[in-house]
Amino acid sequence: MHETSIVNSIMRTLEHEFESEKLNKMKAIHLKVGILSNIEPRLLHNAYSAYHLTNPGYHHVQLHIESTTLKIQCEVCNHITDVKNYRFLCDNCERPSKNVIQGEEMLIHKVEFND
Amino acid sequence: MIEKSTKAARGTVQCENTNINLLKANDFVADIIKKEMAKTSTLLINITSSAGSGKTTLMQKTAEKLKDKIKIAVMVGDLETERDADRIRETGIQALQIVTGGICHLEAQMIHQVLDQFDLENIDLLFIENVGNLVCPSSFDLGEDYRVTLMATTEGDDKPKKYPKMFLTSDMMLVSKSDLLPYVPFSVEAVTKDAREVNHELEVIQISSISEEGVGEWCDWLLEKVQQKKG
Repeated sequence: MHETSIVNSIMRTLEHEFESEKLNKMKAIHLKVGILSNIEPRLLHNAYSAYHLTNPGYHHVQLHIESTTLKIQCEVCNHITDVKNYRFLCDNCERPSKNVIQGEEMLIHKVEFND
Repeated sequence: MIEKSTKAARGTVQCENTNINLLKANDFVADIIKKEMAKTSTLLINITSSAGSGKTTLMQKTAEKLKDKIKIAVMVGDLETERDADRIRETGIQALQIVTGGICHLEAQMIHQVLDQFDLENIDLLFIENVGNLVCPSSFDLGEDYRVTLMATTEGDDKPKKYPKMFLTSDMMLVSKSDLLPYVPFSVEAVTKDAREVNHELEVIQISSISEEGVGEWCDWLLEKVQQKKG
């Protein structure tokens, strides 16, 4: 259910952003989804395939999903830490931080069009 | 037709770097809700948790304790039935059911659609009781001032690390059903430690709508936030 509504939201967003003439030339959609986004790439691919059954217009458009890991940047010492085991602590100064700089994103990162 | 002799292969692709948030539509509506709430200085609180952790019972108890002090209303989301809104209405406050028809979370659009059912001028505190689910609701901003997550002692104390985003995006964790602590293998200390490793700013109250442990502290917190919102 969730993945289906995300696919619908992606397609609605693109239809809102680009002219239909341009959308007809769309070749690929690149998403960037963080590990904290609750989006499972495999399930999203399945939902995307299912979307084409009712919306065949985009069946040739490829979907690429890049997963990103979780990183925080310490507000005090600016050190960037790869968060492991969901411990939101700076590696350098051990202070807790909620300043997530990567890993929460749900982005339509790039769209490719045929010339 | 003469083909171009440049090195660019046929079917060259043109890229647009967009970086559009997938939930852009939701966040746009969430901002509208925030503005509506600011107009009337109504405090909006999003209550989340797994199914069966005591959200509705807490709404009933909160209404009972605070309805003579402030004006409260609740909108409650479920996949089906009007049961929760009926239970909350019995306490004498306005409650509106949002039936999502199978959708696992509430979206800002659903909240915005029913906002005109409420006389916001005369509401100090509006609760959104979200669909019971620790996963999907965490991604959807509903324009709330605070997000409060219930974590029942019957669920097991290992949940914050299993569902980190919900705890990362919450302001308060209510460890609910604390009256059952003598009967269940649940450590408030362990759950608090885990949750604060995810979110060091998380406030924690141990609460029971049955024994009323922590209910006073919870109500004081709400009254303080209502006052702050009124500025």
